Order: sequence, then C-alpha cells, then structure tokens
Amino acid sequence: MAMSRLGQRPTEVIKRSVTLHFRWNGRSFSGFEGDTVASALAASGQQVFSRSLKYHRPRGILTADYWDPNLMVQVGDDPNVRAGHRLLEEGMDVRAQNVWPSLRFDLKAANSLVGRFLSAGFYYKTFMRPRWLWPSYERVLSAFGPGGRVDIDSPDRYHDKRYTHPDVVVAGAGPAGIEAALAASKAGARVLLVEHEHSVGGHLRYSTRAAEQVALGKLRGTLEASDVEVLTDSTVTGRYEDNWLGIVQRNHPIAVERLIKARAKMLVVAPGLIERPYVFEGNDRPGVITSAAARRLINLWGVKPGERAVVFSANDEGDAAADLRDAGVDVAAVIDGRKGHRINSTRGSRRAVEGVVADGVRIDADLLVVAAGWTAPTSLLNMAGDRPAYDRYAARFFPSNPPDSVLATGGLSGDGTLDELRTHGAATGRLAAARALSVAHRIQARTARARAVGGPEPDWAADDRLPLRRDFHPELFRSDTHGMIDFSEDVGSKDLLAAAREGYDSVELAKRYTTATMGSSQGKLETVNTVAVLAEARGENIGEVGTTVWRPPYAPVSLGALAGRVFEPVRVSPIQPWHEANGVRTILAGQWVRPDHYGDPAAEVRNARSNVGIIDVTPLGKLDLRGPDIPKLLNLLYTNKWSNLAVGKVRYGMMCGEDGVVLDDGVTGRLGEDHYMMTTTSSGAGVVWEWVENWLQTERPDWRVHVTPVTSAYASINVAGPKSRRLVGRVVRDVDLSPEGFAYMEVRSATVAGVAGCFMWRIGFTGDLSYELHVPAGHGMHVWEALIEAGADLGVGPFGMEGQRIMRLEKGHFIVGQDTDGLTMAPSTGLSRLIRLDKENFVGRPELGWSGSRRLPMIVAIQPDHPQTVPDEGCQIVRGDTNEILGRITSSRMSPTLRRSICLGQVEPELAIGGSRVTVLLASGDRIGATVMGHHAHFDPAGERLRG
Amino acid sequence: MADALRFESPVTRSHPAGESGGLTLTDSSATVKWLVRAFDEGPAAACLQTPFGSSRQDPSGALVLGSRPGEWILLGAQDAVARVVESLQGFGSGDFVTAVEWTHGRAMFRVSGRHAPRALEKVCSLDWSDPMTPDGAVTSASVAKVICDIARDDCRGTLSYLVLCDRSFGQYVFDALIDAGREFGLTVVPAGLSFSDTQDTVG
Repeated sequence: MAMSRLGQRPTEVIKRSVTLHFRWNGRSFSGFEGDTVASALAASGQQVFSRSLKYHRPRGILTADYWDPNLMVQVGDDPNVRAGHRLLEEGMDVRAQNVWPSLRFDLKAANSLVGRFLSAGFYYKTFMRPRWLWPSYERVLSAFGPGGRVDIDSPDRYHDKRYTHPDVVVAGAGPAGIEAALAASKAGARVLLVEHEHSVGGHLRYSTRAAEQVALGKLRGTLEASDVEVLTDSTVTGRYEDNWLGIVQRNHPIAVERLIKARAKMLVVAPGLIERPYVFEGNDRPGVITSAAARRLINLWGVKPGERAVVFSANDEGDAAADLRDAGVDVAAVIDGRKGHRINSTRGSRRAVEGVVADGVRIDADLLVVAAGWTAPTSLLNMAGDRPAYDRYAARFFPSNPPDSVLATGGLSGDGTLDELRTHGAATGRLAAARALSVAHRIQARTARARAVGGPEPDWAADDRLPLRRDFHPELFRSDTHGMIDFSEDVGSKDLLAAAREGYDSVELAKRYTTATMGSSQGKLETVNTVAVLAEARGENIGEVGTTVWRPPYAPVSLGALAGRVFEPVRVSPIQPWHEANGVRTILAGQWVRPDHYGDPAAEVRNARSNVGIIDVTPLGKLDLRGPDIPKLLNLLYTNKWSNLAVGKVRYGMMCGEDGVVLDDGVTGRLGEDHYMMTTTSSGAGVVWEWVENWLQTERPDWRVHVTPVTSAYASINVAGPKSRRLVGRVVRDVDLSPEGFAYMEVRSATVAGVAGCFMWRIGFTGDLSYELHVPAGHGMHVWEALIEAGADLGVGPFGMEGQRIMRLEKGHFIVGQDTDGLTMAPSTGLSRLIRLDKENFVGRPELGWSGSRRLPMIVAIQPDHPQTVPDEGCQIVRGDTNEILGRITSSRMSPTLRRSICLGQVEPELAIGGSRVTVLLASGDRIGATVMGHHAHFDPAGERLRG
Repeated sequence: MADALRFESPVTRSHPAGESGGLTLTDSSATVKWLVRAFDEGPAAACLQTPFGSSRQDPSGALVLGSRPGEWILLGAQDAVARVVESLQGFGSGDFVTAVEWTHGRAMFRVSGRHAPRALEKVCSLDWSDPMTPDGAVTSASVAKVICDIARDDCRGTLSYLVLCDRSFGQYVFDALIDAGREFGLTVVPAGLSFSDTQDTVG
C-alpha cells in the first residue's frame, strides 16, 4: 500500500500554502499545516508506523484518528503520542517506539517465532517459579516493556487547571451534539460543548455529500454566533457523582494540557459511533483500514490510501467505494457483508497487503477497506451507572437506563437521517436545559451566597423525545479465520478462545487474563469483538455474555494533566525579606518558610548566651480568646489549673487528647479581664484551633468564649540573652522592665519602637533571660530593624531555629512531636506537677487517672560519656551488649555553651533516675555509654538566668 | 504613633504590570479589617443586617461581610469601621459580642474586570456565575489551596472580588492570582492603597 498526496479536496483541513518540516526516525519529511503526524507520513509514502506489543508485527494505519492503536509514537521527549491525532508542527522529531534497533528491522520481532508460547496468561504461568529468579525476569521483561521513553531530565511544562459550572455539558460535537448544545443555549442554559477532534462536525467533516457539507457549514456558523462555549481537541474523560466531569483540553494556548473540572447540572452524551475492526487472518497487516479511516485520509488530508482496493462493507455508511474511486483508487471488488459474503484473510508481505481472500477467492489489492459495524462508546453512560443493553437486530449496544441527569443522543441512541439525528439532538438539548433549570433552582435555594430564588422548584421535565429508530445490521465480528482483536495489546481471537477453555470465560476475567480492551484505545475498538468471541466460546449471544464496565478515563490521560497545576502554599513571616537579605538558610517547617540559621548556628548560640540574640518566632501559634468563660475552657483543655490566673500573668500548660497523650503545649497569658492570648507550638497551631472550636461548638456551646486565630496577625520576636533587658528597654518606653516590675511569666501590653497594640511576655524557651515581643504584623519588619539598630553596641544578632533548638535542648525543654510521639502520655514528660487530677474534669483526665499504675517511658536528659560524640536522633538505647531496647534518643546536639554533646531521650521508667547508666547504639553500630541526668536541664538547672 | 508608621504589606515581591484592562489585581492589604463575632440571631446580628453569605455597605462607608454564621468581617476606612464596632458595644449585656482588629492578620486583594471570574476559576472551585455569586455575595473557599474569604464587590458596574487570606499566605496567594490572570493580560496595581483607592482602580 503506497499512499500518496492527492490534489486539493473540497473538504480538506490542510493548508497547502504552509509546509512544515519534521523528522521521522531521523529522516527528514514534510507535510502541511493541518496534517496529523500520521497523515503527513502517509502522504509521504510511509506504511509502517509501529510494531505490535508482543510480537512486534509491523503495523500501519487502522482508523487514522485518536483511537488508532497502531499510531503510537514518540515526539521529542513526549512518549505515547497519538500520531493519528497530534497535529504536525515545524521541527517535530518523531520516532517509533519500542523497537530495536529500528522500526524497519526490529530484532524483537523474534518474539513472533515463539508466538505460540506467548498466548494468554503466558506471564502468569511462566514467571511464577522459581520465585528467586523474579529479579532476573523483571530485568529482561522491562527491556521488552511497551511505550515510549520517559526522559526524567525533561523540563517541566505548564499544565493548567480550571473549574467550571455549566448548566449543560455536551460530550461530542457531531450534528446531534451541536444541535443539543444550540437548543440548550437557546433555552437559556450555559452550555459547554466538548469535542474530541480538532473541529466540530463529527462524520460530516469527511463527508463528500453536498447536502451534508451545507448542513455542516450552517451548524458551524450558528454555533459560532451562539453563546455556547466550544472546546475542541478536548475529551470528557470521566463522569463522577452528581455530574462532576473531568475534561482534558489539549489545545490550550498557554498550557500543554488543561484539566477542567466541570460540575454540570446536565450531561448530554453524544460521542457518535466508532467503527470497529473485523476479525480475520491478517487483519493487522498494514493496508487493512476501516472505511472511516479511508474517508478521513482522502477527504480531510488529501491522502490516497492505496492503488487497488477491496471494500468490505456491511452498511451504507461504510461503503467507501465512491470516495476511493473519486480519489483515483482502483476498486477491485466490493464485498457485501449483508449478503453473507466474508473476508477470509489477507495475503502479502509482513509489511503490506498484496491480496485479499474473500469467499475463498484471492483478489490482488494493496488496500482492504473494512466496514463491519459500529461500537457505541457508552463509557460515560457506564460511569453514570447505566448498563447498556445489546440489540442483536442492530448489532450494537444502546443506552439502557441512565440517570435522569444524563441524556444520550446521536448515533449512540439510534439511527436516522441527518435531519432525524439533528432533531433528536435539539430535543435532547431542550430537555437538558429544562432539567438544568430545576437543578439550578435547587442549588441556588440551598446556597447562602446565591441570589434568592422565587417560587417553587420547576417541575422535572418529562422525556417526551421521539426515540430514534434502530436499523438492521448483520452481526459481523469474526470471519471463519482467526485474527487480531486487540491491536494495542496483541490479543487475538485464539487467545480469547484459549482463555475461555481455561475457564476464564466471564468477560471480566477474560479481560484481565488476556488484557484485551486494556490498551491505549480503552476498548473502543475491541470490546464488542471480545465479547462476541467469548459468546462464541460459550455458545451464547452477546447480550448474555454482557460487557465489562467502562470506568474512567474515557481516554488515557497524561499524568501531567491529572496533576494539573501544582499548588504548594507556603507561609512567610513579615520579616522574611530581612532574613533573605542577610544570608539566611531557610527550612520548611510545615508550610512555614523559617530561618534555620545565618551561617553558623553555634556562633548564634554563643552570642545569645553572652550578649543578646533575636529570633523571628512568628509561626508560634496564637489564639485570641475573649469572653467570661475562658477559665472554664482552659481548665477543660489544659491538664493544670487556670481559675486563678491574674491579669498580667502567664502560665505554661500541656494539652492532652482524650487518650492522655500529649497533644500540644504552650503558654497562655491573661491580657485583660476577659481577654487571654493562648500560644501553641508552631506546627500545632491549626490543630489546636480546630480542637478548641470543636470543644466549644459541639460540647460547650453554652460557654461564652470566642476564639480568633491571630498567628499571622502578630510578628513575634524573641529577644534572648543576658543583655536582652537592656535592648528591650531601648525600644519599649511604657513598661517597667525591672525584675520586680515585669517578672518571669508575666505579660504586658506595650508600645514597641513606636508601634502601639503590642504585647510582650517574659518566658524562657531558650533558658535565658528573654522577652517575647508580639507586634502587629504590618509593623513587624520595622520593629525587627529597630532592635537590630538599637542593639548594635550590645552585640545583638539574629539566631534561627537551629540555634533555638540547641538552646532549648541545653535548657532541657522538650518539643511536642520531637521528644514526644503518638504514644507519649503526659506523665512521661516529667511534668507530673502540671497534671491536676484534683480538678473537676479535663480532657484526658480518665486516662491519666489510671496511668499511674502503668510503666510509662520517661523523658530524661542524657549526656554521652564521650563529650564529642553526638548520637543521631532516633538512636536506640539498649541494655549493655544486648539488643534489648530500653528507649531512644529523641534530641541531640553539640552544645556550644557546654562544649559537649547533650541529649534528651525516652527511657524505661527504672532508668529515669539521675546517674543511671545507659548504652546508646549508634547508627554506625558502635555502642557508647551515657549517663541519665537528675533533671532535664543541661544548662542553668536552677533557672537563675531566665528568672534574672 | 503607630498610625504614622507605614503599613508593611505581605506582598513584598514586585511584578511587572500588564497591558490589558480586562483584569486587574490590586493589593489592598492595608485596608482596616475587624472581625466581629456574635450570636447569629441576636441583637448584634440584627444591627449588622448582614446575613451569612451576603454583604452590605454601611452608611459609615464600611463594608460588612457576613462571612460565617455568627461572624462578620468589617472593611473600610479606620473611622468608618470604628463607627460600626462602636454601634455594637451596647449589646454587651444581652448578647455576647466580641470584635477583634484583624488588619494585620489578613491579606486582602481585589480582582476586578470582565475576566475576573475566568481567572478565579483557575484557582477556586466555586461557581462564579451571576445567580450563584451575585454582587454582594460572600463565601469561603480554597484559593490555590489556601482558605480564603471572598466577597463580590462590584465597582461602578465592573465585576470585582475581594479575596482575603491569612497574612502569612499573602505573597503566595498574590502570586497564584497573578499566575491565574496572566493569560488574560492581568494588570497589577502596586500595594499600599487604601480601600477607597482600590475601588478607584476598578473600571
């Protein structure tokens, strides 16, 4: 079959004035704008485009559209491109996939020599034993894996996402689909019309009938003038609950692909029909094409599909003889399937048809055009819960009982003249619009923000459409010979019959056992033939065998489209620009971008211990509490008592879940009579807020407390170090900072560096004299810079999270989530004095009440014998030389202050006594001795510095 | 004294301005914002006259958003918002009412122009059609995976939406909105404008 370019055709979509150059397997070719990759190659005389999956048989054009399983190619670094659909572009580098060393001479074709052993279930049977050989099998099999090459170094490309809420989505823009869209739009509905192909019109695009071309022109003109939003080169890939639709748009100007998530009130399914192949010996030889493929090649791209053709047709639409003759193809014979004539086989080389055997007679030809019947692509109906029913008279499936919000029209629903199909489409559009009105009324009435609707919900429109008729079509699936059923997966009719003989005669089992219908065309070409052969094997009819369930996607979707645009929110403090300008190394803590250090965290610690350091602790969770019942709330949520916290005082508290496990901790200060500020850990801010709201809204709705998350409303700056009082005193004028005037664990409202509305408290997470300033965030940078400027002579310097973590470890403060885990109950923290079981009740109290009788691990401070050895966090604490686990290191650092390694860890309770000796199993496998300290603090255990 | 200080916007990275006019993004984070909480069927709610899901321009000039049941966001000039807050003080005994200044806690952006719904539907799953989100509508939704309060606040007949988010996400959401609007020829208006100024940038 030597294809070539024809003279200009009236229906062609190519622009002959624009020549595009491209490469195919390294050789230069050219085509025209509007060509698909396949049509350009075909016009250049190429016959073989790929090799089959298992047997590596040469494959040529079959359907010449999106579904063509033989036209999968690699374009640049893009694998599995559908050459029957992808439009040609200047400079494209197109290559065949899964061939070695070349498409023309593929050594993998040796598989066909052992084809008899590669039948259905070959992998399952062959590679099960011995199990130890599986790694070797895997390596070899992966070399034979199908598909193109994925280059992990390919640059990221932009995939877009969009949400939309049309009243009506019409899937398929053939004549019925267009009429449905127009009628729905005319009735006032917002309509989205989605067409798989590059332009609307369905089969009219490649029809040479004058009346049909006139009709197409009018439809396109009306559509253009309408309010219908038209998406071409786009596919409705899935229908989910409540008409939630996934749509992939492939021709967006700024994105490779766009995933559209549409919530449609009504879905109209109008995909038309897909011509299915016929099964006979040699049906996969290049030169065997469907009648629609012949018409597309001739009338859309001006490609002459062969020189001498045999036409096998079982329907009027599929009789392409006239188109072929018009294109100068010699039609050697027309075999009419309706009269019982059959194709038996093709003859020729492996690369081309040279003859066709029909009814036992050989006819010389290089092209066989087949029109054996139609597959109704009912996928979207299946996804909506319908189970389409088979009609033997029409030899195809029809919708059965789709939900009320899904309507079918066009060839999927029945047969008819063009006018009858258009009329049915228009009636469907009107019905969809009317029903969408009811749905819209219902949604609007239930949505607070929506415009108020008047009157009752409109009645649900009854379906009074006149059904389309069903024309007779002979049941033509397989001839008297065997051939290919699934061209994507290389599954033949013999494979299916063998599977049935082995007991896999249920269509769902046979599908999975043979992989028939699981390839790139997703059953559009294969399903009916698969079912027919199984029916033959079972001695039943197709209706009795049934079909597999078509699930999303309707067509394969790229991973890029599914990922869409990746949103990864990050949070920054108002001081972040300063950090970035001053050499910060950031760390991502949850969603927060935080300063980890500024080059030398140990030096930052030394400076803070000897002078004064400032750290941006804005992510610290902050909840503004207002109302008279706050003490009740705090008593409920914290393990300690809160009834007597005076205004101006701050108290530390620990929160537990109902299981007694530590949930979070922090300090809460009383700013006014009915005004408190609660702090949480940075990572726990969101969880605690939701937790507090949950208690208030569900358990204690009678309590008068309002909670407002204000974490980001304040820039929070901790000023730590022996000179911190002097520094704070330079920027705060309205607060007595003396130890007596502003003592440890107290809070004051303040004006800081001229910024009113601040509050500050004296607490000491770092273990040093420190003040935590909370400043309205819109002035955070101003205050930070004021501190830097005011403290220049005091040696002020910033420190980051790493410095803070070192200092808190020196002080022995545990971090929830670091030194505790999902099983750490409150008594394990060593803060039993804060667990007040004499309170009336609090969250976790029952569990904590009896936890005293349990052997709970304890958090302790640990110092390795060797002061320069820092065990990794997570290292196990074991008994002597054994592997008996007695605990683990939860935090460890080299202390710049103490110049030795320090740790926190969890150990068995009998070891939680100062002076206990433990063994730490290092990551290297070495063991070191260590001593449990008598208290958590490695540094200033008496707390003189922070209280100073 | 603090009032004399410049408000530092959460948006600190500059972006080139576009050419179109069909879509404008304005950083109006400096707008004074207060959060009011009260019983949603109590006297304060009756005084605010703004049910959940709707908004109302108060005679003082403040914009009142019914952001959640029993929760309102007040936007506008300092004195205008203050007047509304003061009007709620009298309900202390009969109703539990609290008001928290939120100016520094929320970033706020105005997305305006005929392409605004198309830009928003790239980052938010809501239905922006007129019946579902009419002028004056208020809702909460994920914008580029960040929870935001959104109010439709048309200005002189031009579609306009206010998007409020936690301040720490401000730069991220601003960048996401710019990205969403790029295909529509987005114009970016510099930060630091007052609420009335941002209304003037529309149309």
